[in-house]
Amino acid sequence: MKDRLFRDILPRVAKPARYTGSELNMIKKDWEQAGVKMVFAFPDVYEVGMSHVGGKILYGLVNEKSRHLLERVFAPWPDMEAIMREEQIPLFSLESFRPVLDFEVLGFSLQYELSITNVLNMLDLAGIPLWSRERDEAHPLVIAGGPVVFNPEPFAEFFDIFIIGDGEEVLLEFLDQVEASRGLERLEKLKRLAAIEGVYAPALYSVEYREDGTLKSFAPMFPGVPARVRKRVVKDLDQAYYPDKPLVPYMEITHDRAVLEVMRGCQRGCRFCHAGIVYRPVRERSLEILENQARRQLQNTGYEEISLASLSSLDYSGIDPLLKALVGNYGEKGIGVSLPSLRVDAFSIDLANEVQKVRKTTLTLAPEAGTQRLRDIINKNVSEEQLLEAVEAAFKSGWLSLKLYFMIGLPGEREEDLEGIIEILQKVKYIGDKYSRRPVEIRASLASFVPKAHTPFQWRPQNTMAELDSKQQFLSRRRRKRIKLSFHDSRTSYLEGAIARGDRRLAPVIYLAWQKGCKFDAWSEYFNFDCWQDAFRECAVDPEFYTGRQRPYEEDFPWDFIDIGVSKDFLQEEDQKAEEGLTTADCRQEGCSDCGICLAMEVSLNIKGGNVDAIEKQI
Amino acid sequence: MRLRSRYRVGPELKFLGNLDMMHLMERSLRRAVIPYALSEGFNPHIKLSMGTVLPVGLWGENEYFDLELSQRMDTIDFRQKLSAALPSCLQLEECQEIADGAPSLMKIINAASYVFLLEPPFPSLDKWKEELLARPSLTVRSRGKKKGLDKELRTGIYRIEVEQSLNFGRVEIWVAVGEPVNVRYDELGELLLQTGFTQKSIAEVFRSGNYIREGSSYLSPLEVLLDKHTSPCGHSWCSTLRCHY
Repeated sequence: MKDRLFRDILPRVAKPARYTGSELNMIKKDWEQAGVKMVFAFPDVYEVGMSHVGGKILYGLVNEKSRHLLERVFAPWPDMEAIMREEQIPLFSLESFRPVLDFEVLGFSLQYELSITNVLNMLDLAGIPLWSRERDEAHPLVIAGGPVVFNPEPFAEFFDIFIIGDGEEVLLEFLDQVEASRGLERLEKLKRLAAIEGVYAPALYSVEYREDGTLKSFAPMFPGVPARVRKRVVKDLDQAYYPDKPLVPYMEITHDRAVLEVMRGCQRGCRFCHAGIVYRPVRERSLEILENQARRQLQNTGYEEISLASLSSLDYSGIDPLLKALVGNYGEKGIGVSLPSLRVDAFSIDLANEVQKVRKTTLTLAPEAGTQRLRDIINKNVSEEQLLEAVEAAFKSGWLSLKLYFMIGLPGEREEDLEGIIEILQKVKYIGDKYSRRPVEIRASLASFVPKAHTPFQWRPQNTMAELDSKQQFLSRRRRKRIKLSFHDSRTSYLEGAIARGDRRLAPVIYLAWQKGCKFDAWSEYFNFDCWQDAFRECAVDPEFYTGRQRPYEEDFPWDFIDIGVSKDFLQEEDQKAEEGLTTADCRQEGCSDCGICLAMEVSLNIKGGNVDAIEKQI
Repeated sequence: MRLRSRYRVGPELKFLGNLDMMHLMERSLRRAVIPYALSEGFNPHIKLSMGTVLPVGLWGENEYFDLELSQRMDTIDFRQKLSAALPSCLQLEECQEIADGAPSLMKIINAASYVFLLEPPFPSLDKWKEELLARPSLTVRSRGKKKGLDKELRTGIYRIEVEQSLNFGRVEIWVAVGEPVNVRYDELGELLLQTGFTQKSIAEVFRSGNYIREGSSYLSPLEVLLDKHTSPCGHSWCSTLRCHY
């Protein structure tokens, strides 16, 4: 297989290094000696999948800390796919070049709703039936995890198992049970696996919908199967596994650097933010552990850059000493530190200057909305003053270009909010020109707001494509010189929205869209909205039902059975506060906001800098 | 201190681009904790310069890089440390100190050799070689800068060696790099296809060497450095070093 690949196949495709494996720090375990054989599948191309931190964690965890084996597979780019189909090469893993069909578990990471068509395409390339009900004991168990599976229902019929929450907390336990259940028939196996907390086996539940389309009932069909599936949580990040020897790809990948996960979760409480709710509570990693991890990772990879990853790294309580230590230890060796996201305040800019003493290219800030009123509605606790201070600090210290993130289509948005975006951009530009010798470049990325399950805005209607398009036009007309606006495709947002709050009745639509050729939907050059529209029409499913309704508070949602620890009551209160324009403070600073996570998960805020006040208040 | 090294790129790495190879080497230098020198300026980088680009799809038996160190280091020590950090499919074969002012690899390398490993059926290699070299003109479609235009290769083809047995063939071709005409391996491939070979019969292609050609002699970038302590020899390619040629 490998010989044939290297000789006949790979010379014919673009970027062949996507398919060769053998990267530095690759772990290839002995097939015969290993326990359960699992393949980790990322439903996007190699460069994207290899950039994903979760995958690195699970890869090291299974291969280093257990007798099981975990190999990798990514979505082949369409040129490779065409040759694989023509030459009848099944989807294979990058470690042993074995067909995916040979593995016992095939685990997908779902980071984005629209990657589902790639999942189907990969199953098809692997020769595995796409529908869970058509698979039997001879096929791998097809499982999925990741942020998208907090509402697994649209995908329920394609997967045998979903793993909800922090994967490293549950995967080894899961694989042990897979091994212990060998030889059992499929249903029995699913029941045993579903007994593990955080494991959801859709086939064990029955779902009914009312005539109006809403959920009527959702219940387990067998005794011993839990009615609600509770997410798994790593309680102490210091105790959790983190790889010291991550894979180093040969080809350049999207995020080509060493990564420190300084914390998980975020408690800023932005009401649109899915990750901010589902990954609660905040758990920080100790400074000392991070420094050791940095040292070992750099030793073992030789990377020239180290990045601090989390939902809001500058909120890490030890950010200042950590950055100083990293810059101090590695700066002289030409190893840089990068911050993926900056908080909107002058302090953040000072820190950014600290780490980026050299290249002052582009700085990114996210005010999200154009007026204070709307920022209050979405609970983005940033004032215009803070923003302009940050901008001033940035231009004063020599940055030449600034990127700002906004959203359009937010609940309660008015024309003045759109005007507000333009005004902010003009003020930013004005400040830039005042401090810079050269004309500065301002870029604004305007995403369309998509209401997500498990967020305070899960009851809200999403803007139609027509509404989004007219808002985009409104903004484009008011655009000024040297201010660049870029928009998200409203069609992509619409589809994302339908799936994000969808249910099991979307499965035939997704299947049909794939059959019509949809794949790589996250890539604009492959996104084919017409096919999706045809699929909805032919299946007689109206996407408006999922995106367009103002949902009543009494409605039961298809994802309510997923217990994320944050209570639905809290989400509803947040939504009501949004209606009144009231904000909710970060519970680290101003005490508990009663979201329910700490009680539900028997955890507490884990702030290493010792924010005792907040913790006491919360207790 | 400047070092020149010779290394082998194994078939497993044949799909790496030039930038990928640079990154691989730089990351290996960091893992090996080599005291590399960094450039000045806003974006400091390791003072590493590779020889001519190894094309994607080819492995290389004798490739070269120059590296500047910030402090002196024994070359044996250097080789051991770096070897331990390199992936197994990349081997550091040889390493020597060079003079600070020695011209770069890119400046001195002016010839390369490529090997085509063949599987039957293919024509008689001796006869093929004789006929090919007898032709005054060898044109192919250019794969380089003037893509698609006719390109005359004859003056850039210096030497051909062939070896043939019942079920195996080997053709090695020495060609010009840069001047008078830059001959690419894929252009040689097309030449083979024009003259009786099929794509199927070409089992493998690799670069067997990089040279400094003077008249009929082909010296490797390390062979030109045999003694660094004595006066210049007059060769353009080793102006500050003495050589035995």
